[in-house]
Amino acid sequence: MPPARERLLALAKVSCRIFSTTFNPNNIRTGNKILRQRLKGPTFLDYYPKRVATFKDLKRSFPMLQFRDVEEESRVRDVAAKKFRGKGAPKKIRTKEEAGAKKGKKR
Amino acid sequence: MFPTLSLLSAYAGRRLPLGCFVNARILRDHAKREAFAAAEQTRQALRYIAQNTQLSLRMRTKAMIDLAHMDPNTRPMKIKNRCIMGGKGRGVLRAFRVSRFQFRLNARAGNLPGVKKAIW
Repeated sequence: MPPARERLLALAKVSCRIFSTTFNPNNIRTGNKILRQRLKGPTFLDYYPKRVATFKDLKRSFPMLQFRDVEEESRVRDVAAKKFRGKGAPKKIRTKEEAGAKKGKKR
Repeated sequence: MFPTLSLLSAYAGRRLPLGCFVNARILRDHAKREAFAAAEQTRQALRYIAQNTQLSLRMRTKAMIDLAHMDPNTRPMKIKNRCIMGGKGRGVLRAFRVSRFQFRLNARAGNLPGVKKAIW
C-alpha cells in the first residue's frame, strides 16, 4: 500500500528545506523563472566590435611624431600619375563665359 | 528604410561607438541593443509581476499594460544580428558574425583564424 498523501507532502517539504529549493506542491506560477534568468543586455551590446584607436587618433595624439599613411601616399601617387597623362580632374569653372564655352553648341 | 531619428539622435554630435563597418542599419541595430540593455531590468520586473499568479489580478494587468506600452525599440525581438563587415542582415554566420559572401572572401584570403578550405 502506498504512503498517504500527507506523508509524501511532508517528505517533500523536508526535502525542500534541506536542499533549499522552493516548496510549491500545487505548481503555482510564481514567476520565479524570470528572476532566475540572467540579463542578456551585456551580451547583446558586445555583438558589434567597439571603436578602438584609429590611424587618425594616433596622428592626433602624437603630433610630434611622423607616421606613414601608405594608403594615402598611394592615392596621391595615382592622382599625380593620372594628371601627368592628362586624365586629371577638369578645371573649376569660374566665369559664365567659361561655362558657355564648356557646354558648346547644343542647338 | 531610413534611420529612425529618435533612435539615432543619441549619436548626434559624438563619435560613433562602433569600430566595424558602419551603415545606418548597423547603427540603428546597435541603438536598439543599447535601448534594450537600458530597459532590460524594468522589462524583467514587469514580466515577473505579470506572470506571478500570486499577485492580484489588477496588479498583473497593470504590469501587462505597462509592458505593452514600453518603447518597441526596447524589445529583444527587434535586435538582428547583422554582418559586421558589410551590414547585411541575411545569411549571417553566427560564429563569425559575417555574411556568407564576406565569409568566403575572408576565408580565402586567410583572414579568419582556423578556417581552411576543405580539400580531399
